[in-house]
Amino acid sequence: MSKTVIDANKKRIFPDFKELFRYKDLFYTLAWRDFKVRYAQTTIGLLWAIIQPVVTLLILSLVFGRFVGVETEIPHILFTVVGTSIWGYFAYVMTNSGNSIISNQGMVKKIYFPRLIIPLSKAVVGFIDFAISLLIMIALMIYFGIGPSSNVILAPVFILMGIIAALSVGIWLSALSVRYRDFQHIVPFLVQIGLYLTPIAYPAEFATQHLPKWAATVYFLNPMAGVVQGFRWSLFGGTAPGNLIWVSAIMILVLFISGLMYFTKVEDKMADFV
Amino acid sequence: MSGNTVISVKNISKHYVIGAKKDGSLAGTLTNLFKSSSSKKDKFHALKDVSFDISKGEVLGIVGKNGAGKSTLLKILSQITRPSKGSVELNGRIASLLEVGTGFHPELTGRENIFLNGTILGMTRKEVKNKFDEIVEFSGVQKFIDTPVKHYSSGMYVRLAFSVAAHLEPEILIIDEVLAVGDAEFQRKCLGKMKDVSQKGRTVIFVSHNMEAIKSLCTRAILITEGQIADDGDPEIITKKYLSLNNTLKLSTDWTYENSIGNELIKIKHASILPDNENEDSLITVRDELTIRIDFWLEEDDLALNLSLHLFAGAGECIFAALTGLPAKKLKKGLHSGVCIIPRDFLNTGPYSISCLFVQDETKAIYTFVDHLNFEVVENRDRGMWHGNFPGFIRPKLDFKIKTE
Repeated sequence: MSKTVIDANKKRIFPDFKELFRYKDLFYTLAWRDFKVRYAQTTIGLLWAIIQPVVTLLILSLVFGRFVGVETEIPHILFTVVGTSIWGYFAYVMTNSGNSIISNQGMVKKIYFPRLIIPLSKAVVGFIDFAISLLIMIALMIYFGIGPSSNVILAPVFILMGIIAALSVGIWLSALSVRYRDFQHIVPFLVQIGLYLTPIAYPAEFATQHLPKWAATVYFLNPMAGVVQGFRWSLFGGTAPGNLIWVSAIMILVLFISGLMYFTKVEDKMADFV
Repeated sequence: MSGNTVISVKNISKHYVIGAKKDGSLAGTLTNLFKSSSSKKDKFHALKDVSFDISKGEVLGIVGKNGAGKSTLLKILSQITRPSKGSVELNGRIASLLEVGTGFHPELTGRENIFLNGTILGMTRKEVKNKFDEIVEFSGVQKFIDTPVKHYSSGMYVRLAFSVAAHLEPEILIIDEVLAVGDAEFQRKCLGKMKDVSQKGRTVIFVSHNMEAIKSLCTRAILITEGQIADDGDPEIITKKYLSLNNTLKLSTDWTYENSIGNELIKIKHASILPDNENEDSLITVRDELTIRIDFWLEEDDLALNLSLHLFAGAGECIFAALTGLPAKKLKKGLHSGVCIIPRDFLNTGPYSISCLFVQDETKAIYTFVDHLNFEVVENRDRGMWHGNFPGFIRPKLDFKIKTE
C-alpha cells in the first residue's frame, strides 16, 4: 500500500523524480492535448505553422542578408534558417511553459499531481514547429546543393541543449509568474530582444569581434547564443565555436538546476496563489 | 498509527497571509523587501490545530458553514495545498474529487476527455482503456462520444465527468459536494456508486451541505466551526448540531413601548414566525404551517390602515405579497396585531425574509417593517432517494397524477 506523508516541516529541495516518473502518462496526455488543441481551433491549422516561420525567415534574410549585407560562408537564408529553427522552438516552449501554470490554474487548484509535469509537457508540442523549420532547411539545402558537414553527428547534442535551455527558462518563468504576474508581460519582451541578441541572422563571431571580452562573455550568458552557434556548426561546419560556448553550456546547467529547485520551493504554495 | 488507521491528521493548522503581501506584483514584493520584517502581516487562520484519525472503511462526513475550513481541510488532505503546521499520514492510493471534469477541454471529444481527465485523476492510460466502455456506459452519452464536449449540454458534460471519477479505484476517496450536480436519475446512480465504494472497504471523506446525504451515507461525521473540530461522532447527532448552528435566525422579537422600533404613527411591539411543529430544535421544515404575527401600537385614532406583507427569497426576489382586507378599516388608537398564515407544503427549502408595509388610506406607506423576520426552511425527513435541491422558489403540493386510460 502506498503511503503519503504530508508534513509542514519537511520540505524538498529537488523534485521527487520517482513520482514524476509515475505520472508519465499524464505527461503524454497533456502533451497530446496541446497537440490536438493547437490545430483544432485555427481553420488553416497546420498551414499557419508553416507561414509564421517562413515569413520570419524571409524578413530576417531580407534585412540582414540584403540590406545590411552580412557575409556568411553559406547562403544567408540557409544560414538564418538554422537559427530560426532552434530559436523558434526555444521561444515557443519558453513562452508556453512559462505561462503554463497560470493557464492551467483550474487544474492546479482542484487536483494534486506533480506540478512540474505541466511546464515539462510543453516541450513536446514545440517539436511540430521545429520539424517544419527543419523541412524548410532541407528544401533550401537541396535548392543550393549544400550537404551537411561531417559534424552533423553532434547536432543532437545541441538540440538537447536547446530543449533543456527552453525548459529551464520555462520552469523558472512558470514558477515566477504564479507569484508575480508581471512575468507574463516580460516573456514576450524576452522573446523579442532574444531574437536580436542571439546569433540567428549574423555569425556569433560578430559578438566576439565587436565587443570587449567581458561583454562577449555576457553575450554568451544567453544560453541560446551557444546553442545556435553550435547547432549551425554541427550542420554546416565553418568556424568552430570558441571557448565562450562553455559559458552558454554552464548557464543552461545553472538555470536548469536552480529552476528545478525554485519550482520545488514554491510548488506547494501554487494553489494558494493562482 | 494503529494497523487500521488509514488517515492520521496531527495538529494541522493553515493560515493565509492577507493584505498587502498578497498583492501578486513584483513592485509590491520589492517594496515589502525594504520594509522592516516586523511589519504587521495579517494572517487568516483557516484551520487551527486540527487532529483526527480515520479507520479503514469509514465514510466520514464533514459538515460546517461556508468559510468554516472544510474546503481547506480537503485541500490539505488532497495535497493541493500544504498545511502551515502539523502533519498528515495517508495510507493508500488517494483520489480527490473537488470538482468534476478537472482539465476537460472543450475542443476535445468526449473520448479524448475521458483519457485526459482520467490521467489527471491519477489513472494510467492503460487503466482508462480497460475501463473505457464502462465509463461511457455509465455516463449515458455513447452517441456523442466522438463529439467535442463544447457541444454537450451541461448535464451531459457533468455526467461524463462524473463517470470518469466514479471509475477510479482509490483506497481513499475525497469528495467535495459533487453530488449537487446532475438530474435525479443520475444522482441516484452516483449515490449507489459511492455506497459501492464504501462497501468494498474503502475509505471515503465527504463534504456536503446536504444533511440527508450525510446521514444516509456516512458512518461518522465531523462538525467544523471556525477552523476547529467542534464535534465528532454519529452523523445523526452531528447533523442536528449543524442545523441548530443556523439559528442566528430571527424567529421572535419583543420590544417595550419605550424602546420600540417604528415612528410617530406605528410602534412595533412583537414580531414572530411560529411553525406548527413540536420540534425541540424549532427548525422550520417544508411541511410546517407558519404563523407570522406582528403586534403594533397605532398612535393615532381613526386611521384607515391595511398591511402588506412581502416574502423574499434568500437572494432578495419577492416571492409574494399578501394584503389585509380592502377597503381599509378605520382603526382606533392602541394595540393591534397582523396575523398571516403560510400553509404547509408551500415554501421551498432555503432562507427567506419578511417585510411588512403599513399603508394609510390604501395609498400612502407610513412605515416599513424590515430586517426582523428572517428564517430558513429545511428539508423534511422523508424525501425518498433523491438528495438534490428541489428547484424553484416555492414548492406547492399540487394535484398531479398519472392517469392511464
